[in-house]
Order: sequence, then structure tokens, then C-alpha cells
Amino acid sequence: MTGKIAFLRITVCILLPTAVSSCKKDVPLEEINPVPHAVKLEVPGNFPTVEQDLDNPLTAEGIELGRMLFYDVRLSGNNRISCASCHRQDLAFTDGLALSTIGVSGKMLDRHAPALFNLAWAKTGLFWDGGSKNLESQAFGPLTSADEMHQDLLVLEAELKQVPDYVTRFKKAFNEDIKSVNVVKALAQFQRTLISGTSRYDKYKRGEAGASLTATELLGMNLLNSKCKACHSGELFTDDGYHNNGIDATFSDDHEGIYQGRFRVSFDPNDMGKFKTPSLRNVMLTAPYMHDGRFKTIDEVLDHYEFGIKISPTTDQLLYQDQTGIPLSKIEREAIIAFLAALTDHEFITNKKMNNPNP
Amino acid sequence: MKKLLSIIGLSALLFTSCSKDNDTILVEADGKVTVSFDAVFGAQDFALNKDFTSGTKTFNFTKFRYWVSNVALVNSKGEAYQVPNSYFLVEETSAVPVQEGAFTYPATKREDVVLPNIPLGDYKAIKFSIGVDQKYNDNLSLQTAELSQLNGMTNVSWMWMTSYIFSSVGGKVTENGTSKTLLVETGLNANYKTVTVDLPQAVKISSAKETKIVLNADVEKAIDGVDVVTNPVVGASKATIMAAVATNYSTKVFSVKSVN
Repeated sequence: MTGKIAFLRITVCILLPTAVSSCKKDVPLEEINPVPHAVKLEVPGNFPTVEQDLDNPLTAEGIELGRMLFYDVRLSGNNRISCASCHRQDLAFTDGLALSTIGVSGKMLDRHAPALFNLAWAKTGLFWDGGSKNLESQAFGPLTSADEMHQDLLVLEAELKQVPDYVTRFKKAFNEDIKSVNVVKALAQFQRTLISGTSRYDKYKRGEAGASLTATELLGMNLLNSKCKACHSGELFTDDGYHNNGIDATFSDDHEGIYQGRFRVSFDPNDMGKFKTPSLRNVMLTAPYMHDGRFKTIDEVLDHYEFGIKISPTTDQLLYQDQTGIPLSKIEREAIIAFLAALTDHEFITNKKMNNPNP
Repeated sequence: MKKLLSIIGLSALLFTSCSKDNDTILVEADGKVTVSFDAVFGAQDFALNKDFTSGTKTFNFTKFRYWVSNVALVNSKGEAYQVPNSYFLVEETSAVPVQEGAFTYPATKREDVVLPNIPLGDYKAIKFSIGVDQKYNDNLSLQTAELSQLNGMTNVSWMWMTSYIFSSVGGKVTENGTSKTLLVETGLNANYKTVTVDLPQAVKISSAKETKIVLNADVEKAIDGVDVVTNPVVGASKATIMAAVATNYSTKVFSVKSVN
């Protein structure tokens, strides 16, 4: 009997579309069922391979829609701020502030806005403590938080539906009406295209014509390789992991455990005070530093690693290099800073595929 | 219209032509089951905005909500039939301010879950999980069945974990004249647990008769063992207590009231 009902269903499924489509002979097929154009990320030659996200495959239409949404103030409850308000392209998609107060509530945030690039490789969680598993889910955080964009998702859908261009674009990208899940999918697609791999270092590394690093920069690169690369590893200059880098000795549970870092996600005592390793790429653009932006300059950061390590049970063993901390001579420090500057990607921060499409 | 009629006619023809293989004329087929999650507080019927006493404490609730997912029915041979797309929000709630008050989810009472197309057979147990399984819990952009970001059962109170709230009991607890706001919630993949409820005797599910399984869902048992006066707010930042509450849901909250 089960088989009979299934057979009946199949029959109706075959016949009904025939009946429906025969009434719409004049409409071209692609308008009824638009197929977005698949896109493959252009991975720099010195980068690791990238895994496609099978649940949200990249398409030209999805990426462009995501770019429009990223710069659209309609995404905030007061229609004044967009994602780009705290993620500026000229600063490698960060905001230059320690803790922002431009959210809808005006309240100071607990965390420093992270830079956005090479996110297609970020597979161990988003946010400083990794509490979000993917860019899609992550977007709901800032979108709805009262202290950030404070948008009502129903209002967001209604506001976007007022814009005929969006109605068309959502249809083309997802073959669906405007829904908040498609907003976050489009944003995630755009963010996965934010690849920074055209710094002077990259060109040198790939042996491109005319590319070179100075002797000081090369010294800095070698020092960085021996002293910093255990965490800031590989061509992405991050191990995508979590470490306690000795900025605090105690980790109170104030503010719902915001100082406890990875612990409040994993509940593993070994993760107390650990935060995501940020990439060193574009680091000269992304001051201030740390999860709360406490260090204003790269010199303050290097001072911390040399003299300021605070000891707690989870302080990373990698920070004990002959002493507590990472000692550097004046020349070594200058060389490291020179090399870090060679990781600045000017083409990335001026790339016209990533800027505001409606300036 | 003519076309539609001919489809129906043709379908009917196909349908009947298939049944010629069968000897009997009237055949029992797959059936429908309604599972009713009837909220109780101990021996009493649960209601919102009504005082319930438990020991020295008085409770007054504004919501009792939980996701029921991956429902399965176990037949008398011990084989489980997994109900596809089973994600249901069971709830009795006053209006819920969603996104910290940005908008309001209306007052709702929903206790019935309808499971269609259950294969004909004798069934001895029902299994389900409280919460949302990892695949969907980890990615809020994946949509299926009733899962939604718009009902206040996602990342509202634990923004740093973009995931679903598995269960939520809210209201007020009073002891010795002191009242505290109560909000006991569960979530996190580690707390996604399966409940097995054995039926008192095997029930036949078939097209001949609709089956109704009524389960008690005991709010008092959900918070059993939790010192809710000391810890009136349980969420991701109280992980140990939260795990104990999740275990309560999987072991003692649900029991059979009636099957017919």
C-alpha cells in the first residue's frame, strides 16, 4: 500500500508541472527557474587549498548581493549603520577603534571588531572565542544584537522587499523570496571572497617579476619564523587556533564570561583565557590590538610579548623563550616591524570588487 | 479545468489499476499519530500566570518552550521508524520579546505534534530528542520544518553561541517572601539528548483509526535538583547546571498519560 501511494504521488508530480508549464509558454525558462553562476575562489599560489562550503555554494549573484547588503544601512534597526561601518575596507575591514560605541544602543562593545579577510579558510569558529561555527550563523549575532545593528529580522525582510532590485537579486541568487537566511548566506558568500594575498611578501614568495624584500625585511621574516610562527603559522599567518597569550592573569566571569575566551564556548578549563589567533597579514592596518583593543600600537604588542607576559595555568608555553616572554634586540624589533609592513596588502584595501557598490 | 479533471481521472485510473494486485478490497494502510505534550506541574495541570507550590518555593510561569526533534516510533520488533523533517516547537508562552524587545512573538499554546504516514504496525515506544541536532544547531541558515530564527528560540540570550535554545522555562520563583526572575534554559550540542518513552502496551497504528499519544511534560521535574533560588538564571554561562537540566529532560520530564 505504501508503494501505491508513492506511485500516485510520482504520477501527480509528473503530470502537474506539465499542466502548469503549458500555461506559461511565453516566459523564458531561466526566469521561472534562474540558475546562478557558480564561482570558484581565486586562491593565491602560495596559499593552502580552500574547501567549498557545500551548504552555501558561491555564485556570482550571491557574492554581488552579499556585497550590496554588506554596505547597506537597511541592515541596522536605525538604518544608520552597515556591516562596513565597523569593517572598513581601507583598514582591512576593521574599524581602528578599541571598543566601538556606534551600535544602535550606543553602549560600548566588549570586543574589538575583528579584521575580515581570508575567512574562507577560517574553519574553527568565528568571534574571538569561536562561538559561531560559520559565517552564516555568525551574521545573526551583529545583525540582531541590541548593542550592534539591532535589526528585527522581520523588519529587515520587509525593508528589503521594498527595493525591487533586491527582490530580483534574491530571486536570481537563491531562487527564493527575500528571507533573513538568504541575507546571511549572501553576506557569507561575499565575505569568503575577501582574500588578501597580494602583499609585497606574497609577490616575493611567489617569485613574481620585480618582487623583492629588503635585507631588513628578510631578517624580520626569519625572526618571525623562529619566534612567532608557532601561532601565526603558515601563509595565512594564523593557526586558526586559540591561545592564552598572557595578557591577563585572572579571568572573571563578568559580562557573561567575556574575559574567559574560549572557555565559555568549550567549558574546558584548559581553554581559560584563550582567544583566536588573528592573522599578522595587514597587521599594520588593524590597530589597536587584542580582543579588547588594549594595545594601541605594534610596539605596545611587542613590549607585551617581551616584558608583559602574565602567568596563569593556561598561559601558552610558546611564550617562554629563554625567559618569560620573547626577548628582541632593538635591531630585531625594527626588522620584525619592517617585515610586518611588507604584509600590508594595498591591492586588497583598494580592490574595487570589494568596495561600496553604491557610494 | 478539463486538464485538471483528466489528471485526477488518470491518477484514479493508475491508482485503481495498482490495487488489482491485492486480494482484499479494504486494506489498512499507513496511519496518522498525534502526539500531545501535555504540560503539568507535578500532579497539577500546568498553566501560565498561576501559582504552583513545590516544597518551600512558589513558582509562577510565563513560558515553557522546547524543541522536539528527530521523532521515531519503535515497533514491537524493536525497529525504529524515523519521522522525516520532525522539528517541532512545543510551547505555552506569554508574548515573548524577541531580540531584546525589538519585536514580539505572540502568546502561543501548542502541544500537539502530528506525525503523518506512519507505516502500518504495532508500536511499543516513542523516541524523540529535546533540542536541535548538531547539523542545524551549528548553522542557523539551514532551514527545515519549523526551525526558524524568528521565534525567540535561537541565540537571543547567548549571543556568543549562535545556536538554538533547546528548552526554556521562564517566570518567577518565590521563597520566604523574596521573588526572583526565573529563566532556566538548555542548549549546546553536548546537551542534545534522546528521550525514550515506553507505551504501556503496544498500539496499532493504521489508516483505520487515528492514534493519539498523550505525554505528560512535567515542568517541576525539568528543574528538579536545581537550586533555582541561588541560580534562578541558568544558561550557557552555568554549564554544569544546564547539563543537569538537560539530563532531567531526557530521563524524567516525559511520561505517558494515555494512548488511544
